Amino acid sequence: MASQQPLPNTQIPLDVYGGDEVSALVLDAGYCHTRAGFAGEDVPKSVLPSFYGHLKSTNSDTSTTTYRDIFGDECLNPRADFEIKNYMSRTESVVEDWDAATKIWEHMLIKRLQPDRETHPSKNGLNDPPEDGEGDVAMEDVENQEKPLAENPLLMTEAPWNAGKAREKAIEIVMENWGCPAFWLSRTPVCAAFAAGKASALVIDVGGANTTVTAVHDGMILKRSIQKAPVGGLWLSQQIRTMWENNDPKIDVIPTYMVENKTPVDAGAPAQAKLRKFPFEIAPSFRTYEEERLLTEFKESVVEVWRGPGRYANPGNEDLVKTQPGRVFEMPDGSNQMWREQRYRVSEGMWDETAALPLPDGSKVQTIPELIKAALNAVDVDLRPNLLGNVVVTGGTSLLNGFNDRLNNELATIYPGVKIKLHAAGLTTERRFGSWIGGSILASLGTFHQMWISRKEYEENGAGIVEKRCK
Amino acid sequence: MASHDVRDVLNLPAEGAGFRPAKKQKTAVPRPNLKGLAREVQNLGGDNPIAIVPEISTFKKRRFGSRKPAARWEMRPFHNSARADGSLHLRHWRRRTEGQSGAQSQDGQDAGEDKKETEQKSEELDDSGFAKFNVQVDVPQYSEDQYNSNLTNNDWTKDETDYLFDLARTFDLRWPLIWDRYEYSPKLPGGAGNGEGADTTDPNTAVIPASKVRSMEDLKCRYYEVAAKMMAVQKPVQYMTQAEYALHGIMANFNPNSETQRKKFAQNALNRSKEEAREEESLLIEVRRIVARQERLNQERRELYNRLDYPHTEQDINAFKSSAGLQTLLQNLMSVDKSKKRKPIMEANGNSTPTSAQPPSAHPGSTPTAENSHNRRESIAASTSGSAHRDSIGGGERPERPTKKGAQPPERKKLTEQEEQIYGVSHHDRLSSGPTFRYERINKILTTKSHAQHQRITNTLAELDIPSRLNMPTRSVVEEMEKLLTAIGLLLDMRKMNDKIDAEIRTEQAKKAEREKALAASQAEGGAKAEGESSSQAQGKSGDKGQVNGNKPATNGEPADKAANAKTNGEEPATNGTTDGESDETPDAMNDDEAEQVKEEAGDDRASRPGSSGGQKRSASVLSSVSDKSAKRQKK
Ligand SMILES: Nc1ncnc2c1ncn2[C@@H]1O[C@H](COP(=O)(O)OP(=O)(O)OP(=O)(O)O)[C@@H](O)[C@H]1O
Ligand SMILES: [Mg+2]
Repeated sequence: MASQQPLPNTQIPLDVYGGDEVSALVLDAGYCHTRAGFAGEDVPKSVLPSFYGHLKSTNSDTSTTTYRDIFGDECLNPRADFEIKNYMSRTESVVEDWDAATKIWEHMLIKRLQPDRETHPSKNGLNDPPEDGEGDVAMEDVENQEKPLAENPLLMTEAPWNAGKAREKAIEIVMENWGCPAFWLSRTPVCAAFAAGKASALVIDVGGANTTVTAVHDGMILKRSIQKAPVGGLWLSQQIRTMWENNDPKIDVIPTYMVENKTPVDAGAPAQAKLRKFPFEIAPSFRTYEEERLLTEFKESVVEVWRGPGRYANPGNEDLVKTQPGRVFEMPDGSNQMWREQRYRVSEGMWDETAALPLPDGSKVQTIPELIKAALNAVDVDLRPNLLGNVVVTGGTSLLNGFNDRLNNELATIYPGVKIKLHAAGLTTERRFGSWIGGSILASLGTFHQMWISRKEYEENGAGIVEKRCK
Repeated sequence: MASHDVRDVLNLPAEGAGFRPAKKQKTAVPRPNLKGLAREVQNLGGDNPIAIVPEISTFKKRRFGSRKPAARWEMRPFHNSARADGSLHLRHWRRRTEGQSGAQSQDGQDAGEDKKETEQKSEELDDSGFAKFNVQVDVPQYSEDQYNSNLTNNDWTKDETDYLFDLARTFDLRWPLIWDRYEYSPKLPGGAGNGEGADTTDPNTAVIPASKVRSMEDLKCRYYEVAAKMMAVQKPVQYMTQAEYALHGIMANFNPNSETQRKKFAQNALNRSKEEAREEESLLIEVRRIVARQERLNQERRELYNRLDYPHTEQDINAFKSSAGLQTLLQNLMSVDKSKKRKPIMEANGNSTPTSAQPPSAHPGSTPTAENSHNRRESIAASTSGSAHRDSIGGGERPERPTKKGAQPPERKKLTEQEEQIYGVSHHDRLSSGPTFRYERINKILTTKSHAQHQRITNTLAELDIPSRLNMPTRSVVEEMEKLLTAIGLLLDMRKMNDKIDAEIRTEQAKKAEREKALAASQAEGGAKAEGESSSQAQGKSGDKGQVNGNKPATNGEPADKAANAKTNGEEPATNGTTDGESDETPDAMNDDEAEQVKEEAGDDRASRPGSSGGQKRSASVLSSVSDKSAKRQKK
């Protein structure tokens, strides 16, 4: 009876290296990217955009249309009847299109990560006539293969609010289609916390489609604390678009693929470029995807976060920024411009609701400090100081210049009496792949062996077992 | 293109200076060793050989020579006994053990390997080394009956309690998680199975309570209540071990209100404003500083105590308790010191240790307090030698010690007379050994006296309103006191003498009266003889007698003679008194004896004199002999 209380943290042996690899695979699906790799490695072997190409081909003979999905960034080129889709949900960062999800995951986990199986020379493709150029084609004959992942346990991450049917669907695919011996579903914030070496943390994940703030306690998320808002990479892209729109002169977003050649021009001068002409119609989704690429580049090289203290809108700040050197950004068409105070303005909406540029649909988003406040208010008071001392920052958009400084300042303003410590990985890869890395650590732990949902358990209990086991 | 080709092109002489050939000779040696591409590269250099790493053929040889067969690794399945299902066999890479390698080296084929694998599976699989880390929390369980008899609660249905305990088990009693995931919704009536179940368990559940919002404290309260009761059910309180009883007490006395209160405080603390936080922080810093200072002080004090604390000895220290013992101890220590080949210290004659005879006022204040702490740190040696010194801790009062041997003497400057007086420096030809207290000198004067005399001196002091024990025995005070005591001694002596002589006079007068009576009876008998006797008696007594004698009737034959005698006699005791005081050898007892004797004689005289004149003669001789005796003693 005396052993009723769990061990206090200090008594847990720390000197045990707990790795024991069982060739597990780790899959982390986000709205912008899907990451897959082997557990125990520090970066995912395969990172693909969650956007995929949807090619319509009409067979003129039989007048039937067939669709083919194409995966991989290098295959997303301008072509006729080519749509760009995303299998994830924009608002939720959870799987929306399960067929496409299955295909893209198979493509990554099996085609890209597994060694080619020895097949009969007549079937192994080497003797086939050369294919039509696009390297990566969906694998249509998965059924033919005997359980392609029969030897690899699989750990998948999911958004913290992912629930019910979606989780069951995941284990069904994994068990039925791929024959994995074991499976586990883990929440992204938990993984991100593990990647930072924490079992308890306040995880701030500023990703592509969403920003989520979640409290993790002892390796489990606190459901009531989950806060989600669209202030992520795509929202920032929208801010940049609005800024470009309102810029004088107005800046047209011309993605790289449209430019055939260009001549250098002075700053602010109109572009002198020859645009490519395509003999077919380019789908708007493709153009949007390509524009997003440009916007990401702009975010990486120009956009900056006002570091504080205080808001950017506070008097004096903008004047100060105007005296400082700006950054020149050259568009793919050669037009270029110096960006000074604007580059702070676009990101300020993440922190200051009133500073956000109005979106076309007029919606407002919750700012990051509000999310944090709401998340902390939903957890027990006793945990809050500890959480604030273990703030884990992850996600691609957190790579914005000055993001962590500002976050620190905001937190210090909201909680002046508490010790605040941010843990943000220094390497960009670790920040972008935070939840994958955490999953990789988790799946390679010896103590994790007892956690896996085994095939037998799945067969006995059905898909509902994920709800029971992966709390 | 070799270098001689370049030379060709540039029209340089084919061969360089005289020293070339020598160099060439040198380089010619390694060339034949080179093969293949290395030789070609070497050739490119021509006359100026290019430094290339020669292919070391021994490297490969050695590697192959000492090579053990490569360690074989295999993908080995294992199971984890911590798992509930036990059927999951994961595989990890493990080094192949010897027995297996021998058996398996034969079959390289897939088929053979497969066979081996199946064989292995049938064997006992390894258990994961991590299974032991699977610890489970013990959550109490209760049966239906137990619940109904002990655990019912108006606020909680059994169903909800079950749910709570289920969560507690799932989340290993991590309350934040339990509270976070607590989503109890009471079962709705209507479901036939449900309704039945509810009816059989508890009629109360028929009334469906509204789903309550439970705080973490509510949950904890209920859990601890049940857990404590179940503990008591399983093992009555009086049989519990100490730990169990404590746990039971804690759980039974859980107070959700105080916990809620505490959380409110915590909440407030979190929501402090910046100013409040800063103020609190500065206060905290202040507190920390105070505590730190306190700690340092304690530390120093402890250090000091340790230093002052004498090392405990197994030997009997009684031998060293007397001053003579201390002296020998000092000698011992000094000889130890010397045997350690220390430089002889200047004050080695005894002043060097705190136990030595150095008067406390020898250098009062001559050590600046700043140096004091320094002293303390350095005087470990002092603490060992001065081990018996345990009192007088006060910082400044610490007896000075030479801090750095050899450094001290040059620092000592010649003091002027005045300074010596101020600092109380005194020079002695000979110091009595061992430390003494000044007031002991006074005590000595007193204690050497007899009890009666002591009493008398004390009385006199009391008359003078001077305490017998000095409050402030400074040097000058002690000196004055000494003088006073001598004077008192003198006075007392005088008084005694006075009394004695008074008594004698009275005897003599009584005798005289007697004699006159006798004279009246026989006038013919020689009055001169009596006169002579009386004068001879008076010789040993005081000057008062002279007066008495003077008062006597002028019938005496030689009045002038008598007076002269009396004078010299009277002076004598006075000189005696002074010599007594100086020599410290005052035989008071003898004086007393003498006085007694005198009285006795007088008594004898009184008794015998009325008888015969022969008796009178004898008495006179006795008296003279007595006075002789006393005179002899006084000379001594
Ligand atoms: N260096 C950078 N600076 C700013 N933004 C960046 C940088 N690198 C990537 N981004 C942005 O980060 C976003 C992608 O982040 P991330 O890969 O974490 O998202 P995700 O996990 O796929 O999406 P989500 O978590 O919302 O489902 C993109 O919008 C991209 O524009
Ligand atoms: Mg993400």
